[in-house]
Amino acid sequence: MTAIGTPFGAMSIRQLQAGLAAKEFSATEVAAASIERIERDDARMHAFLELTADMAADAAAKVDAALAAGSLADAGPLAGVPVGFKDNMNLLNTHTTCASNMLANYLSPYTATCVAYTLHAGALPLGKLNMDEFAFGSSTETSAFGPTLNPWDFERVPGGSSGGSAAAVAAGLVPVALGSDTGGSIRQPASFCGIVGVKPTYGVVSRYGVVAFGSSLDQVGPFARTVEDAALALNAISGFDEHDCTSQAADVDFTANLAEGVRGMRIGVVPAFMEAEGLTDEVRDRVAEAAQKLADLGAELVEIELPNAKAAMSAYYVLGPCEAFSNLARFDSVRYGYCDPGHADLGAQYEASRAKGFGPEARRRIMLGSYLLSAGVYDTYYYPAQQVRTLITQDYERAFQKVDCILTPVSPRTAFKFGEIGDPTQMYLSDMFTISINIAGNGGMSVPVGLGANTNLPVGVQLISPAFKDVNMFRAAAALESVYGPAPVAPQFAGTH
Amino acid sequence: MKKLEEILKTWEPVIGLEIHAELTTLNTKMFCGCKLEFGAAPNTHTCPVCLGLPGALPVPNRAAIESIVLAGLATNCDIEKHSMFYRKNYMYPDMAKNFQTTQGPIAFCMRGHLDLDVDGANADERYGLADLKPGESADNITRTEDGYVAHVGITRIHMEEDAGKMVHIGGGEGRIAGATHSLVDYNRAGTPLIELVTEPDLRTPEEARLFMQKLRQIYLAIGISDCSMEEGSLRCDGNVSLRRRGTTELGTKTELKNMNSFKNLHDGLLYEICRQAQVLEEGGIIYQETRHWDPTAKRTIVMRVKESADDYRLFPEPDLAPYDLSDEFIESVRAKLPELPDDKAARFQQEFGLSAYDARHLVEHRSTAQFFEACMSDAERELGSAAAKLAKPLANLAINDVSGWLNANPDAVLDESPLTPNRAVQLVQLVADGTISSKQGKEVFAAVIEEDADPKAIVEDRGMQQVSDTGAIEAVVDAVLAENPDKVEQYQGGKTGLIGFFVGQCMKRMQGKGNPQIINELLANKLDA
Amino acid sequence: MTQHLTESDVRGIAEYVRIGMTEDEVAQMTVDLNAIIDSLSPITEYDLEGVEPTFHPIGVLVNVMCEDLERDSFTQEVALMNAPKQQDGCFLIPSVLGDGGDR
Repeated sequence: MTAIGTPFGAMSIRQLQAGLAAKEFSATEVAAASIERIERDDARMHAFLELTADMAADAAAKVDAALAAGSLADAGPLAGVPVGFKDNMNLLNTHTTCASNMLANYLSPYTATCVAYTLHAGALPLGKLNMDEFAFGSSTETSAFGPTLNPWDFERVPGGSSGGSAAAVAAGLVPVALGSDTGGSIRQPASFCGIVGVKPTYGVVSRYGVVAFGSSLDQVGPFARTVEDAALALNAISGFDEHDCTSQAADVDFTANLAEGVRGMRIGVVPAFMEAEGLTDEVRDRVAEAAQKLADLGAELVEIELPNAKAAMSAYYVLGPCEAFSNLARFDSVRYGYCDPGHADLGAQYEASRAKGFGPEARRRIMLGSYLLSAGVYDTYYYPAQQVRTLITQDYERAFQKVDCILTPVSPRTAFKFGEIGDPTQMYLSDMFTISINIAGNGGMSVPVGLGANTNLPVGVQLISPAFKDVNMFRAAAALESVYGPAPVAPQFAGTH
Repeated sequence: MKKLEEILKTWEPVIGLEIHAELTTLNTKMFCGCKLEFGAAPNTHTCPVCLGLPGALPVPNRAAIESIVLAGLATNCDIEKHSMFYRKNYMYPDMAKNFQTTQGPIAFCMRGHLDLDVDGANADERYGLADLKPGESADNITRTEDGYVAHVGITRIHMEEDAGKMVHIGGGEGRIAGATHSLVDYNRAGTPLIELVTEPDLRTPEEARLFMQKLRQIYLAIGISDCSMEEGSLRCDGNVSLRRRGTTELGTKTELKNMNSFKNLHDGLLYEICRQAQVLEEGGIIYQETRHWDPTAKRTIVMRVKESADDYRLFPEPDLAPYDLSDEFIESVRAKLPELPDDKAARFQQEFGLSAYDARHLVEHRSTAQFFEACMSDAERELGSAAAKLAKPLANLAINDVSGWLNANPDAVLDESPLTPNRAVQLVQLVADGTISSKQGKEVFAAVIEEDADPKAIVEDRGMQQVSDTGAIEAVVDAVLAENPDKVEQYQGGKTGLIGFFVGQCMKRMQGKGNPQIINELLANKLDA
Repeated sequence: MTQHLTESDVRGIAEYVRIGMTEDEVAQMTVDLNAIIDSLSPITEYDLEGVEPTFHPIGVLVNVMCEDLERDSFTQEVALMNAPKQQDGCFLIPSVLGDGGDR
C-alpha cells in the first residue's frame, strides 16, 4: 500500500519503479502486500491457481539488494514488478496444471524461457493463473479447478483461454501477466476485461517450457493496463532462444516509437469485418469510433480486403486440433500426470487415466485432431488447411503493402455470461476476428477503447502488424491510449485496499 | 522342410531390409543436449526434451544431420536439399512424447545403391547364375569369374530418434509374455537413429548378409556409429515374400525382427523362406505379420498380425524448421568422406597387386586395412621396390593372424599393441627368406604380442632359425634312410605315403629347424633315384 | 448435417487415442464431432489448385540446428519426480500388451 492508496498491482511499471527508486517502499513490501491482496481480493474471482509467495520474496530481496548497492536498473527492466504467469508456463518447483485434472499434481522440474526471462528482468513472481483447460476455450469455463470471474461483472466470463491472466491485470492484482494465444487467447480476454493484450509475431517469444496446444499457432505475450507496460514486458521476454527452433531474434525496443503518434501512418480497416454476421452494434460502433480517432490524430485510413479470412475459422479448427491431438498424446500416466489406480494392463490404465484426466473439450479436440489426420481424411482437411494458410498469409502481405497496421474488432461482442454459450461451435465464433493472425503468424494486440453502449462492458480493438513489425501496432496502440487513457482497474476492484 | 536349393527352383524369394543405425559416435542426443552413453544408471541421461515433458521443444543436432548426409553420400544416394521432420503418432510407453520424430515422404537421402560381390559357394544360392557368362547381366546382377555382383537399390535413408528401453518384470526372462509390469528407462530415448530402407532387390539370405556387412563396413569407415549388433546400435529387420519363378507380382510379405547378428540375419531369412515355401506348397496363405526370429529354437514366431496398414497420423513437425540444405553444406560434408572400403580395395589391387579376394577381405576392418598400409610403407622405406613381393604375405598376415587376434581380443587396440608395422614386416621377411617356416611364423606372431619383442630377437633367442644348408640336411637325410632300410624298400615298392615318415624323422633329428622344402626335395631325389 | 463419423468410427478413434468412453459418451461425441466437422466445410470448398501449403509460419527460417555439445541432464530423482510409480530408477508401468508397432 502506498501513501496515495493505490495498490501496487494497480500501478504502472513506471509508478512502481519510481516509488522503489525513491525508497517510498521496498520490493519486499511490494511482494508481501501483493500476495496479501490476492489472498484477500481474488478469493471469489479466482484468477490465481497457485501463489508463489516465497519466490516473490526471494526475488524482491534481490531487487532490494540491487537498489541498496546501486541502482534499480541493475536489477533489470522489470525490477520490482509483480507478475503472474498463465498456468501453462513451467516455473521450477511450482505446479503447472494447465487447469487440468491431468496435471493437478504436476511439479515443474524446469522453467520456461519466457518465465526465466521475466525473472531475469527482476520481476516478482506472484503465482500461476487460471485458464481454459490446456487453453481449449474462450471463457476460462473449462478450467478443471473452476472458472475465473470477470472483474467487471462476476456473472460474466473473463474470456479465455488466458482468462486468469486478464482478470488479474484488470483487477489490479498485478501490473503485468503473461498469457498465451493460439487463436485469440490473449486478445479476446484482454478485450473482455478492458486491458491491453499482445500476441506478438510468431517467433518473437520463445515457446520453450510453455505447454503446447497448437505448436504452429501458439505465441506467448503480455497483458498490462498500459501500452508502455506491455511493451516493457515484451522487451523482457522476447528474443531468440536456442531451445526453440521457431524463435527469432527481434532486436527491437517495443517502446521505441510509442510517443511518435500516428501522423502519416496508414491504418487499414476491413469493411467486410465490420459487416460480419454476429458482430454486435456496440462493438462495431466502438471500433468505428477508434478508427475515426486515429484519423483525427493524423493517420490515413485505408480500406483493405482480406478475402481469405473467411476460411480462417475452419482452417484453425483443423490445424489447432491436429497439433493438439499430437501434443497431448504425451499425457499417458507413465512419466507424470493423472494415473488411474488399479489397472493390471497399461492399455486399461491409459484409457481410464486419459478419460478422467482430460475434460470434455480436451477430449473432443484430441478426437477431432486424430480423425482429421487419419489416412484419407488428411488430404481433405489438414493439407488444404495448410494451403489456406498460404492464402491468408498472402492476404496480409498484400494488405501490408498498402498499410502499416490494420484495425479490426477483437471479439464480436463483450463478455458473455457463464453458461450462455454451450454449443462448442458457437463458442468457436468468439475467435472469428483473431484466428487469422495466428494462422498467418503476424502480430496482433487488443487495446481497450471504452465500454459498449448496451452492456456497459469493456470493448477492445485489435491492431494487427506485419510479421516482425510489431512496433507498428504498439505505435498505433499508444495513440489510442492517448485518446482513451490507460485501462482502468475494473470498478469493483478500484476501491479495494 | 525342403532345402533352400530345392525351393529356389520353384520360388523366388524377394527380400528387402530396413536397417537402423544409432549415431553412437556423437556426443549428444538428436534433439537435446543429453549425453549419448550406453549403460548409464537409468534415466540419468534425460531432460525435459527426451522425457517428453509438457512444454519441451526439440532442437536438431547439427552433427546428426551431417552424419546422415555423410551416410547418404557413402551409399550413392541423392541428397535432398528440401526435407522436413514429421511426427509419427502412436502411443507406446518407451516413446516419451508418444510420437516419434522422423521424416516424411522425402528423406535427407534418397535413391542410393550398393554393389555386392558374391562369390564362392555362396554364389550358388542365386538361381539362374549358371545361365550367365562372366560379364553378362540379368535382373540386378552381373556375372563375374567366381560369382556375381548384385546391384542393390537403396530407397532412402531417413533421420529419426530412438525410443527408450523397457524391461519386463514378473514374467520369465525379461520377456513381454507373462510379465506383470515393465520398467522404463529413457536414457536411450532420443538417440539419433538413421534408418536405411533397401529396395526389394535381394534374392538370397547370403545377399542380405553381405549387404548388411558391407553397410556396416561403410558406416564404420565414415565413423558415424559403432555398429554393435550386440548392443543394438545396428539393427536389421527383413521383409520377405515369395513368388513363383517367372511371375512378377509380389507375394504377401512378412516382417522379420530380432536378427541381431549376421548369422541370425542369414538364418532367420533362410528359415522364413523355407517356412513360406512350405505353407504355399501346402496350399496355405501367408499372412502379413511381424515375426520374431528365435535363434535358439531356430524358427520364426508370430509377434503381431497386421489387419490393415497402420495409420500413424503422420504430419509435418511444426516445432522444427524445414531444411533447405545449401551446396556448401553438402560439399562440406562430402569433404569429410574418407576413402570407402570399395575404393580402398580397388586401390590395394592396383597399388600392391593384391587379388580381389585379398583386397576385399583386407578392407573389411578399418584397423587391419590401415595396418596393412602402414606395413607396406614401412617395407617400402626399407626395401624399396622389393617391398612389392611382401604385399601378399603382409595381406595374409593382416587378414588371418591380425584379424584372428583382434577377434579373439575384442578390447585390443591394434595401434597400441606390440605388433608394430615394422615388426610385422620383419616377421614376413623371416618367413619369405626361409629363416623360419610359416608354421614357426605363427609362433613368432604370438610371441611378438606376448613378449613385446622384435621377431628377429625372438627367432634368435629361441634358436628357431631354419637350417637351409643343403649339405647339413643331406647328411641327416642320408642317416635317416640308412637307419630305415625296410621303410625305404616299402616306399620304393609303392607305399609313397611313407614320405611323411621320413620327413618327420629328419625334422626330429634337426629339432624342427630343417627347412621342410629342402628336406622334401632331397628325400624325393634320393628315394626316387 | 452430414454424417461424417458413425459411432463405430468414434469408438475406433477413441481406441487409437486411448481415451476410454462409455456408450453414452460415444453417442454424444459422435454428435459433437459431426457438428464440428460440418463447420469445417469451407476448407473443402476452396479452390486450392497449385497453392503450396505453409506448414511453418516462420518466413524464411530454415536449417535451425544446435551444436553437438553436452548439457546438464536431470538427476534420476528429478527425472522421476512426477512418476506415478517407480522402481529401480525406472518408471514402473503395468504390463504392456502388444508391441510398439513398426519400428
